[in-house]
Amino acid sequence: MIRFELPTEEALLLKDTAERFVADHYALEQRAKALSAAPGDVPRHWAEMAELGWLVACVPEDAGGLGLTPAQIVPMMEVLGAGLILEPVGAVSLGCAAMLARALSPDDVAERLAPVLAGEAIEVVVAGRDGAPIAARREGGNLVLSGASPAVIGAAAATAFWVVAELDGSRMLVRIPAEDAAVTPCRLVDGQAAAQVVLDDVTVPADEAISGCHAALDFGADLALVGVLAETSGVIDALHKATLDYVKMREQFGRPIGRFQVVQHKMADMFIACEEARSMVLLAAEAMESKDAAFRGKLVSAARVKISDAARAVLRDAVQLHGGMGVSDELAVGHLVKRLLVLTQTGGNRAAHLKRFAKAA
Amino acid sequence: MTDLLNAPEDSAFRAEIRAFVEAELDPATRAKVSRGSPLAREDFLRWHQSMHRKGWVAPGWPAEHGGPGWSARQRLIADEEMFRLHTPPLPGFGLKMIGPILIRFGSREQQQRFLPRILSCEDWWCQGFSEPGAGSDLASLRTRAVRTDGGWLVSGSKTWTTYAQYANWIFCLVRTDPEVKKQQGISMMLIDMAAPGVSRRPIRLMDGTDEVNEIFLDNVFVPDDLVVGEINMGWTYAKALLEHERLGIGGIGRSKHLLARVREMAEATGLGDDPEISARLAAFEIDIMAIEATTLRLLAAAEAGRTLGAETSLLKVRGTEVQQGLTELMLDIAGPAALPESAGDCADALFANVAYQFLNWRKLSIYGGSNEIQRSILAGQVLGL
Repeated sequence: MIRFELPTEEALLLKDTAERFVADHYALEQRAKALSAAPGDVPRHWAEMAELGWLVACVPEDAGGLGLTPAQIVPMMEVLGAGLILEPVGAVSLGCAAMLARALSPDDVAERLAPVLAGEAIEVVVAGRDGAPIAARREGGNLVLSGASPAVIGAAAATAFWVVAELDGSRMLVRIPAEDAAVTPCRLVDGQAAAQVVLDDVTVPADEAISGCHAALDFGADLALVGVLAETSGVIDALHKATLDYVKMREQFGRPIGRFQVVQHKMADMFIACEEARSMVLLAAEAMESKDAAFRGKLVSAARVKISDAARAVLRDAVQLHGGMGVSDELAVGHLVKRLLVLTQTGGNRAAHLKRFAKAA
Repeated sequence: MTDLLNAPEDSAFRAEIRAFVEAELDPATRAKVSRGSPLAREDFLRWHQSMHRKGWVAPGWPAEHGGPGWSARQRLIADEEMFRLHTPPLPGFGLKMIGPILIRFGSREQQQRFLPRILSCEDWWCQGFSEPGAGSDLASLRTRAVRTDGGWLVSGSKTWTTYAQYANWIFCLVRTDPEVKKQQGISMMLIDMAAPGVSRRPIRLMDGTDEVNEIFLDNVFVPDDLVVGEINMGWTYAKALLEHERLGIGGIGRSKHLLARVREMAEATGLGDDPEISARLAAFEIDIMAIEATTLRLLAAAEAGRTLGAETSLLKVRGTEVQQGLTELMLDIAGPAALPESAGDCADALFANVAYQFLNWRKLSIYGGSNEIQRSILAGQVLGL
């Protein structure tokens, strides 16, 4: 049921803390310093992020979270996206914790989630290429997992992985300690720490696998994507604002370039793209509350398509209108553009989601 | 097509609209609308009268002037259902344009005289804004009004006047003071189409119809009591008028209706599973969803007390782009079947109006302030450029 409710007090509070955090810790030169750390180090602000409640935001209250709806975390995620933070907040809190809270039994939730939510352990979900499950086979009383995922955000510093595995056509979750996998830390083009994760016949007792959690897995994938889309919307918005400031200030032919109609129309189109992107994020976020998984998935896919288009269009014009400055490393523009590249490939790309949308009834 | 307005109270309202339309709409008219055929005056009038009896013709009017008291959300739902069920559009120049202006700025006498006749459609209004040389740049208009005893003498010409052939009244912007800054010397006047000095010439369009006209005003006497509000305030009133119905400007109902029709065409021609066509259809559905989501988001903000500004121009730009894009997709699906003239013997019923609609809807990005103007409004008023 879509109502486009305005952000609640709690949502605005989270957004405010995010804004303050970004202002305090993420000026471009501070960020450059953070980038010089080894990608496998524990992210420097992780404990503070846990304390601010970011990791528990979307986890149900009975699992130790704040129990916010997806729509209520959108403003915060937008700020974190635009702030170009380097910590895997979305991957851990939305992709992993919020999903686990729905997949695990109540006892397991309390025991297994507590260290993650407290920021003491970093655990992320690992699936194969394009979110496809990792192949599993049975050997005696064990499951043997083999597969690889090229760029798992948050995996570089992770202490454990939740592997989405498939056995006999059925999906399950299998937790493995990080040291059981071959983890090659790297930074992505936007500077985020990630890792290539290779599972080479990793053996786990079969009775540790958590099966029958299809709904939670689907929900988790969609929720993580909504987080990605909210970040994307924040980045798109930041590019728009930066470009708007720039065309008001930059003078050519004796006047600010924003006085030229061709530039104005490009800016108007960029504004339209921003507004449509934000609408679609909120639409997808509210749809997450629907019990109808097909409806939910359809709207999330729609949002992915629209936001990918918006991202591409805004990226193109933001760079173009900045001229030479746009392709330099000195302004936020270039960094925002690189973040967009990563975000638009995370959680399934445009083509995959257009297909899912077209197939949905 | 996904309905976003799907709260339980929305569904009940939807059902009420549907039941009424099913019971009241004449099947022949419905068939014409569903095929996108041009409508005769009687088609419009009959439906208007049904809606009037029900008290539903003026959703945007306050209840004390005869509106049904619907919320903005209900108006969007009603709009959507009416399009879905192929009802003829209600003639909009009285209900959506001059009516609201008179409610806000007109004299008590003007309200009493004209509003009931707009509701009943005894009067059919047309709009005299554009002129040769003053289309989207409305402030350059040259039709002038010169003071005379008890009123004004108006001379000049108006163009692109939609359905003036059906209309008996026209509301005009005229220049009452040529000395001041161009926006400041304009007034709004109500003119009887039968008044001496008013004449009309139809303009033949490339789609084969003549739904627009040129209007000539030759020393037409307009008494003082037919001037709206204050002299020289016409620009302000016209702008207020454009703000009215802002959230409806995205034409979501119309787009959904059109998308459904294009889907039917694709299915009927066996192209429903064609990867390119189905991807394009899906992309349009998502485009419409984004316009609708933006409309609803702005609506939620408006209902929470935020004033809507010029950002609604984006709804006009995107709404019309999508509708025009859909007519292009229709052409692609129809292929050569789109080529015969609609009325001719070789016309395939399924595609009979495809070319007509494609041609007719080129106007969408031009009228109501061209899309270029809308972009300039966004740039100037929202972005501060």
